[in-house]
Formats: sequence, structure tokens, C-alpha cells
Amino acid sequence: MENLKATLKEQIIERLNLEDISVSDINDDTALFGEGLGLDSIDALELIVLMENDYGIELANPEEGKEIFSTINSMADYISKNKK
Amino acid sequence: MYINACSTISHQNSFRNENWINELTVLEEGSELITPNYKEFIAPSAIRRMSKIIRMGLTCSKDCVEQSGIENPDAIIVGTGLGCLSDTEKFLNNSLTIKGLIPPTSFIQSTHNTIAGQISLALKNHNYNITHTQNSLSFEHSLIDAILCLNEEDSNVLVGAADEDIPLLGELINELGFKGVSNHLTSGASFFMLSNNKTANSKAILVDSYTVGLNSSDPSEIINAFLTQNNRSLNDIDLVLSNSFGSIGATEIKALFSPIKVTPIEQYTGYHLTNAAFSTHLATDILHQNATTKSVLIYNTLYNNNIGLTLLDSLEA
Repeated sequence: MENLKATLKEQIIERLNLEDISVSDINDDTALFGEGLGLDSIDALELIVLMENDYGIELANPEEGKEIFSTINSMADYISKNKK
Repeated sequence: MYINACSTISHQNSFRNENWINELTVLEEGSELITPNYKEFIAPSAIRRMSKIIRMGLTCSKDCVEQSGIENPDAIIVGTGLGCLSDTEKFLNNSLTIKGLIPPTSFIQSTHNTIAGQISLALKNHNYNITHTQNSLSFEHSLIDAILCLNEEDSNVLVGAADEDIPLLGELINELGFKGVSNHLTSGASFFMLSNNKTANSKAILVDSYTVGLNSSDPSEIINAFLTQNNRSLNDIDLVLSNSFGSIGATEIKALFSPIKVTPIEQYTGYHLTNAAFSTHLATDILHQNATTKSVLIYNTLYNNNIGLTLLDSLEA
């Protein structure tokens, strides 16, 4: 699980062009949207693409996204339970 | 209408440099874009996904807003010849190489109107917002639109143009057979705050702009008709800023306006499809700083037989 969290942080930084942010700046429970990392709706689309292309997980219900993408912990937990 | 602010990012030291017209240097092959620190103008959360053309356009726009004090212009009008090339190339490469869903950011930002859209978002401006893409006449079409807006009910219009160079463009130019040009391809953006109101910031007067696409007539007839329409003749023009591709036409252009002084601007801007916007900033500052120059005509024939004409006067003219 810890390896998955580290990989997710690297992927988010790279895919979302998070300049000036390193893996160590993102805590496992940092809010990815809003006051935390400050991601926005375009980033949410990028995360959906990341989940499908890299982990084979298709989000059937977009409403779930808000909860799944809330933190690194929640993303890693969802991926570990649903990865194909 | 009055030009109350100008801002240019180019291969010259033009950004926020009042003396830039005296520091112009002929560009050498492979010259670099001279950029400000974009982070002083664009929030870190926004800048991370912005390509060069969006950064240039937004920064020049914000500079114009700051210079003029007009925080909420009645219209935002942008001209671009080739649009957001970097994101377009990235999106096309993704679509060819990625199996599965294509990342959306480069697709969203590949459209020509991304620049005007990002300016609107940054300024929280909900007014008229449009992008003109008309090859080498994109900037003039934007100016004409701005003039129409100001002649109707608008008071202040933010208008400008931007184009970006990417390595692939040079490769394509070479394959098309334009030898020696690829090292002179450049990026640039110039924006202006046009107003119906003369203020302490006013620098020059935009008299008129006019275009002819794929012209087959004698250029001198078009020039004379444009000047006559504005109650002028060639004798009233103090300086012509011309723009052509390579060395083609430079001699003919000088002969066309003889004995009026003609300055080819591509030596200072390099080649991008909206470098007539650079000429407009240059003309504005010449008219503002040089008391002996009262009227400048910009003659843009960068591409084939497209002709763009823009006339500017000094405030004292």
C-alpha cells in the first residue's frame, strides 16, 4: 500500500504538472482539491483518465469521484480494492 | 480611438521597457524569446498547465489592465494565426500513442480561443470574448472588430494577438521548401487597451485598420483607397512599418512608398503570423516618444497576397 501511495504521488505531480511540488509535500491525508493541493475540475478529469489507463478502473458513477479523489489515502484504498 | 496601454513579449527587450524602441537589435538566427517572470502575473495553480502562448497572452493582458487601470474591459478580442500549437501537438501525439482515454488538458487547451478564454477567466470578465484566426491578418481582423465595438457602445476594449513557435513548425517549414527561414521563426504577443476616452495614459490614436485577402489588384490602389477613405494621402505619412516574408517583396515595398521611410519589422520580430501586432506597439511608442512623427502606416504583407493596413496618429496630429 505504501508503494502504491508513493507511485500515486509521483503520477499526480507528473500528470498534473504540479510545479514546485515534490512527493514529500503531499501527505497521505492532504486534501487534493480545495484548500489542500488546490486541484480543479480539469485535474479531476486527468485523475479519471489516470485511474482507467494505469489501473484499469473505470468510474461508472461520477458521484463517487468526490470521495475517491479526496486524498491519497482514499485513492490508494479504492485502487487496491478495485484494480483489475 | 485611443491606445491607452500596450504590452509586448517578443524576442526584443520589449516588456515593461519604455526605452525598448531605442534598443531594437536585428535578430540573429536562433534568437530567444525574452520573457518576464510569469509567476508575477499568473497564479501558480493556473500557470502549471499553461503553454507559452497562453502565458504570453495572459501576461500582456494583465499588464495592459494594470497600465490603463481598466480592470473590466467591455470586450476581449484576440487574434492568432496558428493558435495553441504546443498543446495541439501534444494532443495529437497523445491520440496516436496512448491506448485508452486521452488526457483532456492538452485537448481542452489546443483550441485557438484558449488564450481569450484564459484572459476572461483571469480577469473574471463576462463580456464579449472572441478570437479571430485569419492567417497573417488575424491581428488586423481583431483590430477591426475592436473598432466596431468602440463605434457601438463599448468604451474600453482589450485587443491583442499571440503566436508561438514550436520546433515542429521549423521542421514543417523546411519540408515546405522555405530554406533559411526556420531559424527565424519566433514567438510573440502584443496587447492593447483601446478606449474612446483620452486619458493621461493615452499614447497614440488608432485611426483605422483594413484587410484584403488573396489580393489580385495593384497594392498601390488599395493603399491609396485606404488613405483616401481616411482623408489622407501618402504625403501625410511619416513612416511605414512593413512586414514581408524573407526578402521577397522588400524592394518592391520600398518602391511602393518612396520617398517615405520604410522600416521592415521582420528583422526585429522574426516570423510569426501576428507580428503586425508588434508593429502596432512599435508605432504607438514611436508616435508617443518622437514629436516629429505624426502618422505611421503599418503595411503587412507577410503571407502571399494578404494585405493588412493599419493607420496610427500621434495625439498631437
